[in-house]
Amino acid sequence: MSIAVMKTKAELSFAESFDTIRDQLPGGAGVSAARQAAADKFAQLGLPHRRIEEWKYTDLRNAMKEALPSSVGDETALTIADVIVALGPLAHLDASRVVFVNGAYREELSSASDVAGVEIESLAAVLSEGGERATGLANPAGPDNDAVLALNTAYMTDGSVVSVKEAAAVEKPLLLVHVRAGMEPGFTAVRNVIEVGGKASVQIIEAFVSLPGAVEAGQVNTATRISVGEEAKVLHVSCAADGQANVTHLSNWIVNIAAGADYGGFQLTQGVALARNQIFVAFSGEGAKLDLSGVFLGRNNDHIDTTLVVDHAVPSCESRELFKGVLDDNARGVFQGKIIVQPIAQKTDGKQMSQGLLLSPNAEFDSKPELEIFADDVVCGHGATCAQLDEDLMFYCQSRGIPADVAKVLLIESFIGEAVENIGDEDIVEAIMGFARGWLAQA
Amino acid sequence: MLEIKNLHVKIAEENKPILKGIDLTIPKGEVHAIMGPNGSGKSTLAYILAGRDDYEVTEGDIIWNGESILEMDPDERAASGVFLAFQYPMEIPGVAGLTFLRTAVNALRRKRDQDELTTPEFMKLVKSKAGELNIDVEMLKRPVNVGFSGGEKKRSEILQMALLEPTLCVLDETDSGLDIDALRVVSEGVNALRSPDRAMLVITHYQRLLNHIVPDKVHVLAHGRIQRSGGKELALELEKSGYAEYGEEAA
Repeated sequence: MSIAVMKTKAELSFAESFDTIRDQLPGGAGVSAARQAAADKFAQLGLPHRRIEEWKYTDLRNAMKEALPSSVGDETALTIADVIVALGPLAHLDASRVVFVNGAYREELSSASDVAGVEIESLAAVLSEGGERATGLANPAGPDNDAVLALNTAYMTDGSVVSVKEAAAVEKPLLLVHVRAGMEPGFTAVRNVIEVGGKASVQIIEAFVSLPGAVEAGQVNTATRISVGEEAKVLHVSCAADGQANVTHLSNWIVNIAAGADYGGFQLTQGVALARNQIFVAFSGEGAKLDLSGVFLGRNNDHIDTTLVVDHAVPSCESRELFKGVLDDNARGVFQGKIIVQPIAQKTDGKQMSQGLLLSPNAEFDSKPELEIFADDVVCGHGATCAQLDEDLMFYCQSRGIPADVAKVLLIESFIGEAVENIGDEDIVEAIMGFARGWLAQA
Repeated sequence: MLEIKNLHVKIAEENKPILKGIDLTIPKGEVHAIMGPNGSGKSTLAYILAGRDDYEVTEGDIIWNGESILEMDPDERAASGVFLAFQYPMEIPGVAGLTFLRTAVNALRRKRDQDELTTPEFMKLVKSKAGELNIDVEMLKRPVNVGFSGGEKKRSEILQMALLEPTLCVLDETDSGLDIDALRVVSEGVNALRSPDRAMLVITHYQRLLNHIVPDKVHVLAHGRIQRSGGKELALELEKSGYAEYGEEAA
């Protein structure tokens, strides 16, 4: 006998609204079938809740009370000046921009039509062309039973399809800008699919920002599939910094790293009320490197979850994770880091660290490292810490004349700085620190 | 002028008295040394002057330039001229030395109604002061005190003191962990700051520092009180006889 679980309001309205808008979503028969299958999958799974181990700390069914209407067909008028304002510290970065407003590509706001070594297309356009390629892009290539990814497949309106040619050294960073603007609360689902050819090098930044004055409530569901070719070097940064009061940010990174490649990933999450960032990394060739870092900043009742799974499926790869969270008021941070070392993955070198800095007695940081090691000749380690601001350091700074509020910011910046500096590129580090400083200044 | 009057101090969370009635006056222009056995309360006195809140003053007062500083936060005390050179200077990972120094210098200048220094002005000042203390400016680009040797940390403290231009300098066991050469450099740095406008309190366990920084007066602190005061010759006497006559704190 099975017990039927009552569907929540949000679950029901996601299902209903899909039936209403399915014809407006881009894609031919193949894509449409994939969307329908994903919608069915979502109907079957429902929103994940705390009884599912991976979602123990983030009960999405309870936290997502409603499903906002899809932003498909949105035509909010924006100028390049608006985009610059929305980009904040990232506006100073000399980058090729691909701009989406409420989930729709805007060619007139973009500046990446002619980047040497790179082909960039709108996902909506490719999906509409149909054929095998379109159907392939409709497949997220991630875990089968993930309700958030299923929603993404069902609802995705647009995104970037980026293909970096073999051995291309892309000069400027590619900045994939997703702006939330306008006065109607909406649900935006976007997908970026990035393929980096062998021996190529590229920097890719995804920004999720909003136009000042945009409606406070919004839901963003984003999935990024990236495959890193042999001996390629990739820096992949995500900056989720909406800044409005009631924004949900659900993200998935699905990363595949080929032999000898060097992939550096970084995620900043701030200014969102509810976030779940999932990162799935698989090594497909030997001698590859993964260097993953992140910073999450929460206050009020913000809830920010980073959940990652790194699969060492081949020998001799190196993985590093460093995630740091600053939590004030009643904010809650979650970090779950699963590292799987398969029986054949000898000579794996894995290290993981997560650190929470609690600024208030009501803030909370839940950290769950999980190492599943099935090989015997490996070096793996993990650590997790949770602490308050160091009073001795505060006193030291103050005794030098630095007022308490300035000292606090200095120490918080130094705490997160260690993770941000893993990005390596000075200009990008400066932009990310700029966002963090903006957040700190709001205290 | 610094006036410490009948100062009683205990650890804030406990009921354990550490200082039990200190009376001490240091006029501007004078250097006083406080010597005493371990556990006598020397470091507590240094911390309480700088405003550390792990301690609680239960009786008495500290008057600096005619004003009680007990209610002031540490940064306000710094603005009024108080500087503590730490026995164990803190490491601040992630904060570059120059950033830290510049933040401190300009915070103090703002509070003292002086114009902030521009980057070139600041760099010029740091280079000249660091040179005097044999500190490589490259070292200051690294995080504050991280990876510094004991001697480098102490020199870095004296550099901070030189840059922040305090009028009351408290040096807590500045000689600990220094070899002879480093001791000379640090002492020269301190002596260079001696001036008719500055009062200095040098806390030390050993007399050898006082060969380099010659004090005007020496006080012996034991059992939470000043047991004896005298001229610089008192330090030499202590070096011979030790602290035995003042006993260790009764258990």
